[in-house]
Amino acid sequence: MKTLASFVLLASSLQPLTPVAWGQVKNPDTYTYLTISDLDSLDPAYSYDTASHMVILNVYEALLTYKGSSTEILEPMIATKVPSIANGLLSKDGKTYTFPIRKGVKFHDGTPLTPEDVKYSLMRFMLQDRVAGPSSLLLEPILAHPNTRDENGNILDVTFKEADQAIQVKGDNVAIHLKHPFAPFMTVLAQWGPVLNKKWAIANGDWDGTEATWKKYNNPKKESSPFFDRANGTGPFMLERWDKKNKETVLIRNDSYWRKPARLKRVLIKGVDEFATRKLMLQAGDADAIYADWPAYSQLQNIPGIQIIENLWSIEMNPVAYFTFKINQVANPDIGTGKLDGQGIPPDFFSDRDVRKGFAHAFDYEGYIRDVFRGKGIRATGCIPKTLPGYNPKQKNYTFDMKKAEEHFKKAWNGEVWAKGFKFTLSYNSGNVPRQNLCQIIKRSVESLNPKFKIDVRPIQWSTFLDLYKSSKLPVFIIGWQADFPDPHNFAFPMMHSKGDYPSTQKYKNPAVDRLIDQAVRETSMAKRKALYAKVLEVEYEDVPHLTILDASRYRPQRSWVKGWYFNPIFPDSPWGGYYYPLWKE
Amino acid sequence: MLAFILRRFALLPFVGLGVTILLFGLLQFLTPEMRASLYVKDPRQLSAMEEVIRRYHLRDPFPVQYGVWLKQLLKGDLGYSETAKMPVEKAVKAFFPATLELAVFSFLPILFLGVWLGTQAAVKKDKWLDHLSRFLAITGYSLPSFVLGLLLLMIFYGQLKLLPPGRFSLETDLLIHTDKFQQYTGLLLVDSLLNRNLSVFWDILKHLILPAFTLCYINVALLVRITRSSMLEEINKDYVRTARAKGLEESVVINKHARKNALIPVITLSSLLFVGILGGVVITETVFNYPGIGRWGVTAASQLDVPGVMGFALLYACLFVLGNLGADLLYAYVDPRIRLK
Repeated sequence: MKTLASFVLLASSLQPLTPVAWGQVKNPDTYTYLTISDLDSLDPAYSYDTASHMVILNVYEALLTYKGSSTEILEPMIATKVPSIANGLLSKDGKTYTFPIRKGVKFHDGTPLTPEDVKYSLMRFMLQDRVAGPSSLLLEPILAHPNTRDENGNILDVTFKEADQAIQVKGDNVAIHLKHPFAPFMTVLAQWGPVLNKKWAIANGDWDGTEATWKKYNNPKKESSPFFDRANGTGPFMLERWDKKNKETVLIRNDSYWRKPARLKRVLIKGVDEFATRKLMLQAGDADAIYADWPAYSQLQNIPGIQIIENLWSIEMNPVAYFTFKINQVANPDIGTGKLDGQGIPPDFFSDRDVRKGFAHAFDYEGYIRDVFRGKGIRATGCIPKTLPGYNPKQKNYTFDMKKAEEHFKKAWNGEVWAKGFKFTLSYNSGNVPRQNLCQIIKRSVESLNPKFKIDVRPIQWSTFLDLYKSSKLPVFIIGWQADFPDPHNFAFPMMHSKGDYPSTQKYKNPAVDRLIDQAVRETSMAKRKALYAKVLEVEYEDVPHLTILDASRYRPQRSWVKGWYFNPIFPDSPWGGYYYPLWKE
Repeated sequence: MLAFILRRFALLPFVGLGVTILLFGLLQFLTPEMRASLYVKDPRQLSAMEEVIRRYHLRDPFPVQYGVWLKQLLKGDLGYSETAKMPVEKAVKAFFPATLELAVFSFLPILFLGVWLGTQAAVKKDKWLDHLSRFLAITGYSLPSFVLGLLLLMIFYGQLKLLPPGRFSLETDLLIHTDKFQQYTGLLLVDSLLNRNLSVFWDILKHLILPAFTLCYINVALLVRITRSSMLEEINKDYVRTARAKGLEESVVINKHARKNALIPVITLSSLLFVGILGGVVITETVFNYPGIGRWGVTAASQLDVPGVMGFALLYACLFVLGNLGADLLYAYVDPRIRLK
């Protein structure tokens, strides 16, 4: 009888999952977001990926934050005021910022937040300085050197003292002294260096905040940090668990939040690699928002209950084609014979401006945007995206013009390029369809100009890309750049400055543009900065060290019952993930 | 028999050593910059590549790197898997139970259906059941698992809302992570019974049906064909004719005499199939978002996560040795002429 009863119980539960009726909200208190990214670490000083920082954004809080959808206007968070010269919290020389610290803010374990926690968090963010981590984002503006170790990996002795002097607690305030004015400093602070609980950190085996021990915690192992998979912030959500096995992070509402508690009780961030599965779960109402790229766009349209929010402009430059001015020719088959003989290219082939201009005119930008990005983008006018100050919509950029391309190729290398032809390999990282299309369009257009022009297109794995990139062996490399903080410096420096990430590999150097960028980052007047960046864009147009293609927009598929969402492109994993505090389901 | 089993187990360290040296050796063909891709994932990290190489000793010679890993292993430390975000031992413990559950749940139908259908197809050669088995075998073997998996998911989840992807529902997810539910084994079907929670049991079962069916449909094909051909060979032998001449019932002739002798190749194939499923069924796990060990293994390999790859290889070597041992023991059971020496 018992067996029969069990069977009946089982059989009765074999009913369809509750279908989502019109207007009925599934799991009204729980918001589920499906992504493809894994978290790396929940330690704010360690992680440098969007998936981790999306969680960190909801669990921790920084001194400042961005106001609504704006990337320029800041509002106080843990600080009570945004420093400015007008309110006297920013010194006239632009080097000292004073942050009055909010009272009554408690960490998730109930401990009150103090100015000492703020100082500890910023110091820890800088001094932990794990290799390939985010610490340079604060080290550079505050201490004016990008890391805490020399070229041989030896820890610099002076760093602690410098940091200790630079960040000082003065009563209820925290003052930060910069070595030089750094205009985007507050936008950096709004994104990086959230406030941790010093006592909790020390009690759980982390750095005690003293000079005697800081080196022991420099460049740590990821898993050794107590913040790796635990969290104790002040944010609107608390970390319930990071389930690495099921690729799932669960956040639960902080009912003791210093502002009004969030309307959602729980947030689930789940890793689902397969798009079809994500789509079915969104359709069934088991997910409220999912990650989706442009190739998936048509599959998400006209589905009842699913809303597509479009025209969400990202702060990135992707893809960009960079020319290597001095190619490493050692064991490098990508440049063929290494000579301008029709079967290869010399290592300095792209140092000739006419070659670069030839390539710039031989690319069908509009066709690429229309066909590859479904027309959901606009032609870039340089390295500064349209969402940032300094963007100049009137800045000239190259247009698709085969006649001009031919003219430049005929002039290049005193006519030798046109007469002898060339051959090299153009590589993209395998699996990246937009970059593959870009390479194929370059190949087709350039080869059509002259039968002696030969370009091989080759997919390479990310690991191979790193190998060739590091040794400057790629004649042209295709890559993107995503903002660390919403400021033109974050694009002008890595893409145009000779010490920037890409020019240093390309071996591109223009002292004039270096000076402009250095000057712009120290200038406190936004109007003057914009004028300086306008000049940077002009040099970029003349020098053509790379081809910027488009300013891309994205879209967000979500259930139409999700309310309160707004787009801020600087939020990590935006527009799919983001900030959950304002959301509710209805 | 005990000596035989012990000898097989004694082989295990050598198999493990061989596999890991081979893998480590192959990885050395990649440059340090390529192996740094595990830690340099974002263009923003490119400038720190040299420091990454130094930090993780990627330029050290092969014997040094392998020696360090082996020394760690002898202390019981398999290293840290960057892709699993946990130590390798923990990763194996975390991912393996889900795969074991899926493997057992799909393998039992594969075994029973494969042997039964293969036997019937041989006995009723060129009759409708034989044709049906051939049809199933051809379609099953030629159907890519992601196509079948996605179709099943679209019908049974997308349309009928019956069988969802993943390992459990939101309600179960929240329940099993509370104190009200003890995870004794990590096998959630077993744990739900031990917790006397039928609703969790049923929820887990519902999530297992589609991936198990996909695996079953695709893998049963081979077993059906092998059983059929082996049975055809046996039922045409003299001893079967003699048994029939003696007046034995047909069912006894087939089931007791012919099938038992036909099982040797079936056992070999079954053990390989079972070990294969245990080693991970990546595509099925990906389509159904099932948190098994296969997905981890492939991610570790594609991202050059050396400790992860080594741990996975060692586990697979153990499973392979155990699978072979199981097959050997079964050979002796079904055919007493085979002695375990």
